[in-house]
Amino acid sequence: MSRYFVLLSKELRAITREKTIMFAVLVQFFIASFSSVIMVGLMTFYDPVSLGESARLSVTVGFVGDMQSPMLDYLRERNLPVRPYNDLAAAEAAFHSGSIDTIMVVPRSESGTVDMKLVLPTADTRKTIILLVLNEPLKKFENYLRQANGIELKYKDMGGRPNTTYEFLYSLIIPILMFFPAIIAGSIVIDTISEEFENKTFDTLLAAPVTPGQVFAAKISAATSSAAIQVALWAGLLRLNGHIIQSLVVVLALAVLIAALIATGAAGIALYFKDRERAQFVYSIALIIAAGLGYFLDPSPFSAATNLAAGVPGTEPLKVLFYLIPLLVIWFALRKALKPMLVR
Amino acid sequence: MKHILTLAKWELTRLRVRFSGQSKYIVLAVVLLAVGISYLIYHQGLVFSRGFYVVGVSPEGPVITDKRFTVIRADRETGYALLQTKAIDLYIDGGRAVSQGRRGQYAAGALRKYLEKQEVARIAQEYEMGQAFPLRVEIRYLESLAAEPVEIRLPETGPTGPPEPAAPPVVTPALVPGQTLTVVPAPVTPNSGNVVVTPAATSTTDAAVKAQLDRREGPRPLRFEAEFVSENDVIIPSLSEPPIPLSQVIIALLYIVPIFFVSIFFTSTFTEEKLSRKVIVLLSAPVTRLQVILGKMLPYLVYAVLTIIIITLALRGNILLGLAIFIPVALFIFAIYLMVALTYRTFKDETFFSVLALSAIVVYLVTPAMLTGVSDLSYISPLTLAVEMFRGASFNINQYFLATAPLYLVFALVLYTGNRLLNEEFLTGYRPLHAKVAEALYLIVARKHPGLSIPLLTIALMPAVFMVQLASIVFVTNLPESIALRAVIVVSAVVEEVAKSAGVAVLVQRNVVRSMKGVTALSALSALGFFAGEKLLLFLALSVVSESMFMQAVFGAGLLVAPLVMHVVTTVIVGLLTARLGTRYYAVAIVAGTLIHVFYNLYVIGALR
Repeated sequence: MSRYFVLLSKELRAITREKTIMFAVLVQFFIASFSSVIMVGLMTFYDPVSLGESARLSVTVGFVGDMQSPMLDYLRERNLPVRPYNDLAAAEAAFHSGSIDTIMVVPRSESGTVDMKLVLPTADTRKTIILLVLNEPLKKFENYLRQANGIELKYKDMGGRPNTTYEFLYSLIIPILMFFPAIIAGSIVIDTISEEFENKTFDTLLAAPVTPGQVFAAKISAATSSAAIQVALWAGLLRLNGHIIQSLVVVLALAVLIAALIATGAAGIALYFKDRERAQFVYSIALIIAAGLGYFLDPSPFSAATNLAAGVPGTEPLKVLFYLIPLLVIWFALRKALKPMLVR
Repeated sequence: MKHILTLAKWELTRLRVRFSGQSKYIVLAVVLLAVGISYLIYHQGLVFSRGFYVVGVSPEGPVITDKRFTVIRADRETGYALLQTKAIDLYIDGGRAVSQGRRGQYAAGALRKYLEKQEVARIAQEYEMGQAFPLRVEIRYLESLAAEPVEIRLPETGPTGPPEPAAPPVVTPALVPGQTLTVVPAPVTPNSGNVVVTPAATSTTDAAVKAQLDRREGPRPLRFEAEFVSENDVIIPSLSEPPIPLSQVIIALLYIVPIFFVSIFFTSTFTEEKLSRKVIVLLSAPVTRLQVILGKMLPYLVYAVLTIIIITLALRGNILLGLAIFIPVALFIFAIYLMVALTYRTFKDETFFSVLALSAIVVYLVTPAMLTGVSDLSYISPLTLAVEMFRGASFNINQYFLATAPLYLVFALVLYTGNRLLNEEFLTGYRPLHAKVAEALYLIVARKHPGLSIPLLTIALMPAVFMVQLASIVFVTNLPESIALRAVIVVSAVVEEVAKSAGVAVLVQRNVVRSMKGVTALSALSALGFFAGEKLLLFLALSVVSESMFMQAVFGAGLLVAPLVMHVVTTVIVGLLTARLGTRYYAVAIVAGTLIHVFYNLYVIGALR
């Protein structure tokens, strides 16, 4: 056992000396800034309706047409400044000079339908935002017209708050952050093992009083512990940003367990191919397979992380231990494959 | 060309040998399995957050089929009891939602959106189109002189308060009721790009409703399907989809992923040469170094082109357009991986450079594309063009150039660099990264005519500088406005100062230039080269991205003499400091140059006045 620890500390030193961790953090910084762009910027675009509802956007509407139209009330309810015009030409002049952002032409309607005209600026950004802001008043007006036609929409007043950010954070960002270090860990294992084979240093290593199993175990645990450090770091950073992971210990345990699983599998691939090129290629494809198979499991690692982190009612933390089974199976298979090397 | 083909054939032979024997079948089986599983998931429809909310529904409540919800049918008494014990997030009591805690609020929000869609689908079935969708909004586009973009304040990610009361609406009773309206089609400026103005007759709006209803048929939460549809000119409020390019961006990524998978072979071919020292033999053969690079790259480029064609065919898109958009992307990716292959020293280095490169490329391509149709800045990514293509919208030639020119230029630059770097000493030497970069720069610069090669190097670095700067603009758009602007200014100043002075610093380090006079002259020339390149790129960029104040801050649009003087001054300062203090203190010199640069930029945008 003590030999295992000697090897482990050697591998850990190798990882830190190679600035591997630094690179890993750098890589994840990219991922994180990518997510933060999505989180803050895209979130609002991903869920533009809520942007229109909750953001403090103001659009000045030039209004032409039926001054009795309830559309006017809906615009005012949304706190949008409205300027009426006698005719479209006057409104267009104001639009050209930039004193209004959009022109709404609402004809008086005798029949049930209203064909409204909306003049928007050509600039992409502005037209999108104007449409977002007007979305809610337009829907209200549409429902008013439906009501006039004798149609009632049910479940209009459910309340609640915009859910997209919340869902996005827990079902995408947190699982990605929790499992990305695991993918790197697998890659590290392949590198350190195939390097030993390609440089023919593995035989030298076995001349020392260690078993191949110990060498592999040390390499796998070094990579896994680097993943463990990273996920703990992420949990801390998320916490600083006000995103709380429920059942933190279980989520971290799951992340580390998956990292160990992937690292052990990667060790198997590296042992079989013995060169980096094929091993890394097969590893990247095998990750897709593993992710795909995981998707069909219940709970999949991804949704287990999601549900535990978000505190979904009825989630059983102990189910996480299920992943011990494939881990042990792969580990013992690996041990068996390594046995002949010792005899020689 | 013959040599390139021969080398390409060698590369294929190398791969064949690698995958000879049993391993061939294993790899084949693994790939097939991966494809099969991906297809299976695609077929089912990928759903994130299955069972994310647990809701109780009273017997007369709605039917919920959305997979995000775990539904428990419960009568009122049980329902409220479950709510009490927090076994459910929300209880639907008839038409009313009772929720508890933050999760309950989010569940209610999610449910409201879902049920609204269901209701719209229901009335679309039960009633006539005219009754069910009585409001049609016909869109017309006009040029507006308003230079100021609509003010955006992003909502906090936490709880959002009620909207602040805006200025009281100005309403003056001016219109004569019952007046008939005539819509005069206003003149549209000819160069307004993709805008189509169709003064549609009333009868066509029914067709628009039908078209939009048809498109909604069949609920597919996150089906990865390209939508080759044109932007609708008639909006039906309850049918209008938010302009989210998420699924289209993911499809666009499908083009790139297969390229990433073979990148390991491309980088490994150089590893093998390095490890086995075969590179010495190869370089002594009667082939140029450029031929070696192109020969090794050719099989993978062919593979990339075939992938692009196959995917475009599968999506029933325009092949020429697909190739025009994705070939520069493929070239760019191989360029980056070529640099990775040439500079790394160990396996672990290679893995991390590769992962870093992969993440950087994906971020650079995906992030801007997510803003398609929302911001013109999105055109810095070619994926935006792809999204526009999937939507059936058009883009103009300027936008194409903005998106792809930097990629082409980076590819050309890397080919030239690779040509210089592909030598035994550089490939097999073990040095820290910055020393390796310095050596690379030294090898790139023609030492005999530094007066010419230094400004050329600076110009050649322009596309890379430009990409970093544009990327930083996209990133900081998320920061608070006051910090964002400053962050962009500082980042771009650092990048520019490094780009301008790196070549000079390397020559100083190698004692190619010694006199202070020489350093001054070279720095000034470098600054001149940078200035020329910058103006050229600015010209291109401003034709597409006109709205961003960041662009103004970074590039100081409109001024001529002052920025030139500034560039010369800062570069000379950095150059002289480096020569004086030694290249060891290059970072200090950069900080000094950056400070002046930043102050100048702040002055120009008026932050100091």
